[in-house]
Amino acid sequence: MTGTFVRLKLSVLRNGLRQSTGRRVGWIVGTLVSLLYALGMCVGLVVLRGNEYAPSAAVGVGVVLGVGWAVMPLFVFGGDDTLDPTRLAMLPLRPWPLVRALLVSSLVGVGPLLTFLVVAGAAVSVAGDAASAVAAVLAVPLAVLLCVALSRAVAAANTRLLTSRKGRDLAVLSGVLIAVGAQLVSLAANALTSGHGLERISAFTTVLRWVPPASALDAVRSAGEGSYGLAVAELAWTGAVLALVLVWWHTSLDRLMTRPDASTLQAGPSSVRETRFRLFPEGRTGTVMERQFRYAWRDPRTKAAWATALAVGLLLPLVSAVQDGSVYTACWAAGLLGLQMYNQFGMDGSAFWTVAATISSRTDAYAELRGRALAIAVVGVPYVAVVTIGAALLLGRADAAAETLGLSFALLGALVATGAWASVRFPYSMPQENRFGSAAAPGQTSLAWLSLVGGALTGAVITLPVLGLLIWLHVSGRHGALWLLLPLGCLYGAAFAVLGVRTAAPRLLGRLPEVLTAVSKG
Amino acid sequence: MPNASVAPAVRVHGLWKRFGQQVAVAGIDLTLPAGHFVGLVGPNGAGKTTTLSMVTGLLRPDHGLIEVGGADVWRDPVAVKSRIGVLPEGLRLFERLTGRELLAYTGRLRGIPGAETDRRAAQLLDVLDLAGAANKLVVDYSTGMRKKIGLAAALLHNPEVLFLDEPFEGVDPVSAQVIRGVLERYTGSGATVVFSSHVMELVESLCDWVAVMATGTIVAQGPLAEVRGQAPTLQDAFLTLVGARDRGPGQDLDWLGGASRS
Repeated sequence: MTGTFVRLKLSVLRNGLRQSTGRRVGWIVGTLVSLLYALGMCVGLVVLRGNEYAPSAAVGVGVVLGVGWAVMPLFVFGGDDTLDPTRLAMLPLRPWPLVRALLVSSLVGVGPLLTFLVVAGAAVSVAGDAASAVAAVLAVPLAVLLCVALSRAVAAANTRLLTSRKGRDLAVLSGVLIAVGAQLVSLAANALTSGHGLERISAFTTVLRWVPPASALDAVRSAGEGSYGLAVAELAWTGAVLALVLVWWHTSLDRLMTRPDASTLQAGPSSVRETRFRLFPEGRTGTVMERQFRYAWRDPRTKAAWATALAVGLLLPLVSAVQDGSVYTACWAAGLLGLQMYNQFGMDGSAFWTVAATISSRTDAYAELRGRALAIAVVGVPYVAVVTIGAALLLGRADAAAETLGLSFALLGALVATGAWASVRFPYSMPQENRFGSAAAPGQTSLAWLSLVGGALTGAVITLPVLGLLIWLHVSGRHGALWLLLPLGCLYGAAFAVLGVRTAAPRLLGRLPEVLTAVSKG
Repeated sequence: MPNASVAPAVRVHGLWKRFGQQVAVAGIDLTLPAGHFVGLVGPNGAGKTTTLSMVTGLLRPDHGLIEVGGADVWRDPVAVKSRIGVLPEGLRLFERLTGRELLAYTGRLRGIPGAETDRRAAQLLDVLDLAGAANKLVVDYSTGMRKKIGLAAALLHNPEVLFLDEPFEGVDPVSAQVIRGVLERYTGSGATVVFSSHVMELVESLCDWVAVMATGTIVAQGPLAEVRGQAPTLQDAFLTLVGARDRGPGQDLDWLGGASRS
């Protein structure tokens, strides 16, 4: 059975690549780049051998890999459908052999290979004598296995959570989780690569070396230093955690296979409390805003997207404040909220036809886009203001609040404008199955990236004049005039937002069938 | 021909399933004889899919006993799954496999030797009119083709009982006729087919045994003629059974139709 699973996985991978040349090229380039990166890390770690910080580096690498693998399913869930055991529910497969087969087939892939390279490098960096070589032979596979098992277990638990009714309401938490997870990974990576990083991490090593899979790597060091008891304890601990993770995965898998499927759940009572937002004006714009807010609350994917934007937008400036960073990181809040304007119609999915069917003039198209932009502005403007002023106060840079706020609003406006354009020009589907809504339908990934990255870059370019003014005022010493950036930035952002939405509206009217086709895939 | 001494294909006793506040299946008792073409009918939301999912080991019941061919489903779901074939409603398949590959892996995962799997797969693809699309990815299949490849995967191990949830939903007439032919041949050999549907004409023309569900309970079960009773068609009998007989069009849609449009 395990062999069949491995072949199944290879077939799915091969067929996925067979579909389009773009996908094939993207995959090859991505694999090569990450392979080079992993080789670099591996060589770097090997070179570090004998250095006093080598043990800390090894432990750090172990922790980052563990956290990375645990957080990964939250980002790329649904990326690999051999990973989806619910498709096998009809088959008579015993749970433990299924776990084993899934685990082995998960080891086949680029990710595990990269992990193996880095872990092997880390093991070599702390290895010394024959005893540590023995430990390494056990530690490296153990660490890779734990990483893969952890990721599968998190994915299974996550699917289970998100397919239950209450769990779906918890989707909002996933945003926070992603934010915190991403911060942890980036903090750890920064700490490792920056100058004083290794010193900083050494302080925590005594604790971190007990965090699996780092504990396996530290066992190599312990064995090399002659502390065989400690080495055995560390290896045994890693093994015990692996066993626990496997039991957890097994339990989730068992529940997942016998859970109600989505079609049954929808038949359940879903009486929603009827709330009317009386604040919104009559007419299409108000109706659209109301619908957008209902969706942001009720649709788990939209909810998760908003929660992620709000959480990351708050966390980045906060982390920066803690690290005495720049006050301008507060612009992230505006950036992330502005990105919500991208692919507006993708979240509608095939239901977009109801929108398309009711747009019969430029005025309708404009009202539709304006409603969507205003829904973002209603949340975005006060949020950006609070985060920016808060960050400035925390950093003791209250004097810089006005200019940062001006820059933020200019950016928000620019992103709303380019977002409106990108939504009309480069729409793409977001499959229902991906509860996190971060991935596009197969074959549209490059389009999604083009839309998002191209749009964000254009947005940044549009903001350049405001940034230029800010820099010029600083360089030329006209600090007294910096407050002017606030009204200017507001006006600039608002003007661009209005211009973007106004010019995108006629395009939307002309492209309704194309947009509908693009968003109804998957 | 069905024989009274043979264990029933499916026996359900006191089966309950609740989703939060809503009772989806409210303590049903059901006995489906072996060797028949059985139709499970009922309006949308009656609990047909929930019942079939529990019977096939895909959804854990809250209470109750389910036996398929005399074996307790929930004591050993794996053993029962090897004896039955299922075409579930959602029909989640490995989208990035070709039709032929899908059957090849399904057979091997069911423990059928490779060569035998491939032989059966080739025949099924041929009979189901999928030979031309055997090397196309499932993701590119139409609804009818998906149902047919799902049916092939469910038949591959020659199950004793075949459970089909809405097998004809969204299927074109040509594919429907093909599916029908295969199913009739299969029951002709003494196997049992249980399928859910709300298309009465179809059930009436295919089945010889019917169970009617409404709001989570079984309101009638037995041979087709018995359930139909005095009613001219199964449709009439069904509407009476589920209490939808007197529901005429409402009086308060006075704005609908007529001259004034806005």
